Amino acid sequence: MATTSATQPTAITNNVSLRIDGQEVTVRDGTTILQAAAELGITIPVLCHDDRYDPVGVCRMCVVDVGARVYAAACVRPCEEGMDVTTTGETLDRHRATLTELLLADQPEPTEDPKETTTGDNELLVLVRQYGVEKDQEHLPQGAGRGIDDSNPVISVNHDACILCDRCVRACDDIQGNDVIGRSGKGYSTRIAFDLNDPMGESSCVTCGECVAACPTGAITNKPLHDVPIRPRTELRQVDTVCPYCGVGCALTYHVDDERQAIAFAEGREQPGSKGRLCVKGRYGWDYARSPQRLTTPLIRREDSYPKGPLSGDVKGEGRGRRKPGGLVDYDEVMPHFREASWEEAMDLIAGRLVALRDEYGPGAIAGFGSAKCSNEEAYLFQKLIRAGFGTNNVDHCTRLCHASSVAALFEGVGSAAVSTTYGDIINADVAILAGTNTTANHPVASSFFKQARRRGTKLIVVDPRRERVADHADIYCQIKPGTDVAFYNGVMHEIIEMGLVDEEFIAKRTSNYEALVELLTQYSAERAGQICGISPRTLREVARIWGEAGAAVVYWGMGISQHTTGTDNARCLIALCAITGQVGRPGTGLHPLRGQNNVQGASDSGLIPMFYPDYQPVDRPAAWERFERAWGRELDHVRGLTVTEIVGAALKKGVRGMYMMGENPFLSDPNINKVRKALSALDFLAVQDIFLTETAEFADVILPASSYLEKDGSYTNTDRRVQRGRKVLDPPGQARVDWEIIQDISNRVGYEMNYSSAEEIFDELVSLMPNYTNLSYGNLGPTGKLYPNADPENSDGTIVLFQDQFNTEDGLAHLVPAEWMPARELPSEEYPFVLNTGRLLEHWHTGSMTRRSFALDSISPKATVFINPVDAERLGIADGEFARVTSRRGTIELEAKVSHRETPGSCFIPFHFREAAANLLTIDEIDPFGKIPEFKFCAVRVEPATVAAAAGS
Amino acid sequence: MSTVNDAVPGREARAGKFSGPSLIPSLNVIQREHGWLPREELARLSRETHRPLYEIEGLISFYPHFRVQPPPRVEITVCRDLSCWLHGADEQIAEVHARYGEDAQIEVREVSCIGRCDIAPAATVHEHPVRAADVGAAVERALATDEADDGAQGPAPRTWPNDPYAGQAPDARYAVVRSMLAGELDADQVIATLKDSGLRGMGGAGFPAGAKWELVAAQEPDPKFVICNADESEPGTFKDRQILSEQPHLVVEGMLIGMLAVGAEQGWVFIRHEYGIEEEAVRAELERARAAGLLGPDALASGRQLEIDVFTSPGGYILGEESALIECMEGHRGEPRNKPPFPGVSGLWGKPTLMNSVETFAAVPIIQQRGAQWWKDQGVNGGTGLKFFAISGHIANPDVYCVPMGTTARELVELAGGMADGSALQGFQPGGSSSNFLGPEELDIPLDFKPLADAGSMLGSGAVVVIDDQTDLLAAATNVLRFFRNESCGKCVPCRVGSHKAHTILTDALAAGLGPDGVDARIDRLEETLRMTSICGLGQVALGPVMSVLRRGRAGAPT
Repeated sequence: MATTSATQPTAITNNVSLRIDGQEVTVRDGTTILQAAAELGITIPVLCHDDRYDPVGVCRMCVVDVGARVYAAACVRPCEEGMDVTTTGETLDRHRATLTELLLADQPEPTEDPKETTTGDNELLVLVRQYGVEKDQEHLPQGAGRGIDDSNPVISVNHDACILCDRCVRACDDIQGNDVIGRSGKGYSTRIAFDLNDPMGESSCVTCGECVAACPTGAITNKPLHDVPIRPRTELRQVDTVCPYCGVGCALTYHVDDERQAIAFAEGREQPGSKGRLCVKGRYGWDYARSPQRLTTPLIRREDSYPKGPLSGDVKGEGRGRRKPGGLVDYDEVMPHFREASWEEAMDLIAGRLVALRDEYGPGAIAGFGSAKCSNEEAYLFQKLIRAGFGTNNVDHCTRLCHASSVAALFEGVGSAAVSTTYGDIINADVAILAGTNTTANHPVASSFFKQARRRGTKLIVVDPRRERVADHADIYCQIKPGTDVAFYNGVMHEIIEMGLVDEEFIAKRTSNYEALVELLTQYSAERAGQICGISPRTLREVARIWGEAGAAVVYWGMGISQHTTGTDNARCLIALCAITGQVGRPGTGLHPLRGQNNVQGASDSGLIPMFYPDYQPVDRPAAWERFERAWGRELDHVRGLTVTEIVGAALKKGVRGMYMMGENPFLSDPNINKVRKALSALDFLAVQDIFLTETAEFADVILPASSYLEKDGSYTNTDRRVQRGRKVLDPPGQARVDWEIIQDISNRVGYEMNYSSAEEIFDELVSLMPNYTNLSYGNLGPTGKLYPNADPENSDGTIVLFQDQFNTEDGLAHLVPAEWMPARELPSEEYPFVLNTGRLLEHWHTGSMTRRSFALDSISPKATVFINPVDAERLGIADGEFARVTSRRGTIELEAKVSHRETPGSCFIPFHFREAAANLLTIDEIDPFGKIPEFKFCAVRVEPATVAAAAGS
Repeated sequence: MSTVNDAVPGREARAGKFSGPSLIPSLNVIQREHGWLPREELARLSRETHRPLYEIEGLISFYPHFRVQPPPRVEITVCRDLSCWLHGADEQIAEVHARYGEDAQIEVREVSCIGRCDIAPAATVHEHPVRAADVGAAVERALATDEADDGAQGPAPRTWPNDPYAGQAPDARYAVVRSMLAGELDADQVIATLKDSGLRGMGGAGFPAGAKWELVAAQEPDPKFVICNADESEPGTFKDRQILSEQPHLVVEGMLIGMLAVGAEQGWVFIRHEYGIEEEAVRAELERARAAGLLGPDALASGRQLEIDVFTSPGGYILGEESALIECMEGHRGEPRNKPPFPGVSGLWGKPTLMNSVETFAAVPIIQQRGAQWWKDQGVNGGTGLKFFAISGHIANPDVYCVPMGTTARELVELAGGMADGSALQGFQPGGSSSNFLGPEELDIPLDFKPLADAGSMLGSGAVVVIDDQTDLLAAATNVLRFFRNESCGKCVPCRVGSHKAHTILTDALAAGLGPDGVDARIDRLEETLRMTSICGLGQVALGPVMSVLRRGRAGAPT
């Protein structure tokens, strides 16, 4: 990793010449013997070494004769001028055989070896066969007796099979930056250990499985999931596709057992962004598709289940305080309200009702929610149906809930909502700010690159009220008060200007409105800004100095920036910070809002937002609408449609009456659920297309069984702008259908003809209408996808750094927008003294419909919890694991308390995945005026022991 | 952009080693406060320092100094290694176990050599060294007063031939350092003299000291370090202990000369924690040097900063290996590194580091004062200079002796009063536990680097262990092997697994009453692989002594 190719000497380094097995070779100084030998096509056996890791030289299998008193480990020994190296021969082979024999002595029998009996690729046993070593039980004492650790639900640790090669240690530290595994003990009793020699399942291990990928023997292996046996890869079918979870879009391979129609296991796959890494969700979280709760037939609400409303206790709001984990919907409670129907009947009903509502109340009475989990093709087709088929722009998706404010600010500031550089480009940065992003949980693989860059010299500045794991890696951690980002960044910019560290030339040539920004910033001295955000003026100046002096600096941000009523202002500050210091448009610089969903970038690109046609062509701009009217053959609505949050409001007021929901679950994902419940109940007609009977589906008139990600082809665009192909792995269960076919079917029934025969055909159409996707095709996306824009996808991975010469705005300049700090809408009071922050956990995804049906993810994280600081916990009399009652002006929930040093005193954090204790019962539905994004990160609540509250309430 | 991976070629991956300050001092603080390391305290340390828990586990499970259980009222350790074993340690250990094994307030632990081979079989009570036979009295004292020390003064310091200040007033000391600080003697002269003297490292490897100093002096400055390796821990070896105790001023002066010669401002004495008494002597000497103005930010108003601190080893023979010692000081598990790079180029915290042993540094002042030729002239039988030997085992007067290099083993044995109880010598290790056994017919070989190497053994750590003809030499060699197995750090496969398997094979052979001819030939193969493929000297020599006995036995010599 650290060493570059041995074949490419550069001018500034020296070369050394040596002989290896009689062959002359010249390599760059610092090249190891192993690398130089590889150049000559000489293979030296290794066990502890893997090109992905820096060498340690502990297994000694690669020893070679360099003419010294003892042998040298080729993996770590650098080449020297005039060295004469022998890599093979009878003596060396004898030593290698002896080493192999020593290791074999303590190994389990091959018939019981966890690797040999599963994937069948135990690297030690390969050497055993190569050297013809036999287990000599007569003379060599056998077995280390270190035992087995089965405490992790999906990973088995067999210490006897461990050869202490330290690959897992390096994988955990150097690749993933999780820092869990090390060596414990000394000498022969040494073993790998998790944390303080704790069982793996009780340690701080995040189950990313990188150690499984690293282990050469049966020491760390995957357990089979759902009794699908793990077999050699050659006996399984490989499907190269993309992870369905977050926006990082890691490339992976599923190994499929066709007899059982099931995935046996998953592995990371080489790709320029993710480089073969995965997190727990990607590696272990795919089994939801096999859940017995999958919908397999269309369902129609029974007559006697009208008037419509919630069906299950949880959704009615009666589930409060239900103290059992694994809160999946109880089908026995809900299913009786629906009857099975044929596709014909269900589709006719949907088309008929929606058309009738449109005809009676106008196109604006119809709205559609698509999903960022669906493909580009499905997003494109869905918005095409709503826009061309129903004639309204009321189409949106969950981007509204994550980065809508970032998108608004980026459009205004730089004319493009896409990231200006990739997450991997951090390696070229001197400084990186991670702003409001719990990256280790929400973008785990991206965080691994951040942590790795830091170890290689990038200074990491983490700005977040929650001290999450990535903060442990920060050079400077700024625990700002919630909702004070604008003050913080204004303060930093003020100091940068004071110190004269702005880039005058960049400001003059590439920005506008700098004077107005300076004018505003005069009010944000480090002292005043620091007082607002709770950071010392000294630290603010330090951040300003480090950023201002950096050769290359980049900012990555998450929902902590966007999910505020000042979300757009927060993002404006980050744009200004980069622009006034010239930190955009070069490697290692720029703006990167980390996208949440696997395809939130692609869905937005494809037009699944009310104000834009595909590729951000404004619906209210004549040139744009004329283009799409021509392409789609229909007259279109020329007024911006309603957003997710506005549609909910409109439903309550009977403005929107009929909805088509594809893969969205607003009941859990939207703020102030009590209001959402009323809105959904008020709809005249709701069609829900999903893979499970979600909370939202309880309000449906018709429910359509859709296909999971694993059951269809399509393309997905990740946070880096990488467009990758997802490939079908399994058949949909029962009568479930592929989503784009369902959309096409409905479209044809509402009188707007569609006639696509494949996802690829849809992709070609959307590319023809999306200038940024120009040149891309299924053919040239290849196995690892391509970044857009891309002038030559046949030969190039695409553009990493945008805005090298100009921004995408009409005048090509970055528009600086001064932002005043404004407090959050609902501040803590005597009655509601805590700030509630909401977000995600590593193991769960949004409304939990997928992750809570995954064995691994649900086993590791089965419970709804409220995280509170130890100081607050003690003051409130709440111990770790006890139940707390959390109340806001909008609702109340009870859930287990987790006492955590990572929380700011006076704040609490609740993940929003759990239907039995839904955080969004508490959140406020105030929105940012520009991005229309709700303030999920800030509302006032009261926290108390559940027992006290219950007694007081009863 | 600069990256931490602009490292010296060959530098290993960090694999569990974290940059940043060592956690060992913090662990020491916790242990001092609580007497042990409670889990909550470790979790707090991890949280506050942002360092992984596993790093802490790696340290506390590696270093015997750290306790993860509350301490007993009285802690007894008993040595099980060669010199003590020759004096009936097995029986003494069994007796101590029998007497205190059931007592909940007393803990008995068997430990590796504690460097008290002159009072073998040796033990400690509350870290205070005693003869194993005297454990009872020390335990009584400890139970009564929580203090095992009987307050008795050791013998008065002797006069040693390597001390240029012998017989002079204490303020005459540090003359060489004073000259250097006054600009009368420069670094080049010092190094030239040292090179001319032929002084070789006395820690075991025998690398020419002058060449090492020259190499470190030639490195780019910013900053360099000097370390005195006072971690002698090899069974039978206690000569450095005597030098530290009786001549700490020579050690400190030697280090200061080294620091001035190579351009270092900071030095450390890395001393094993079992040498508490000697550590006090060194600390007292450092205070004297400081009081004399030799240590401090502006030593003798020369503008040079000179600081020396003591680093107490958290335990383990392996730390005597120079790169393991550095790993320990950096706060890592004491696992030797693959070399190159050597510490002279990339040592402590990646900086050029001059490391010599106690005896080496202690020889420097007299060499600088009396000249290279004087030093050379001290040797006999072709040897160069003076040499300290610790002699133990079946010898009448086990002690430390300073003799001309090249003195024969027979002469040394005679100097030490001959064999104990008039017994006959069967064999001896001339250079500590790593050296191959020699027989009575080899008593006239000069104790010097080359003659011993030619005889198939080595000068090693300067510890001569003599064994009488009533002893099972194979059992003695197996005892030595057990020491290496116990002290293997576990980093590399051949040493970690090979030393364990070999020890089991030999113990089984001994239990079966087999002689050298009966021991499986697999040992020969293991010895060869350990010697050729292990990372460090420990693994490379672990099976050497056993093999030397087997070879002698198979050749027909009595065992």
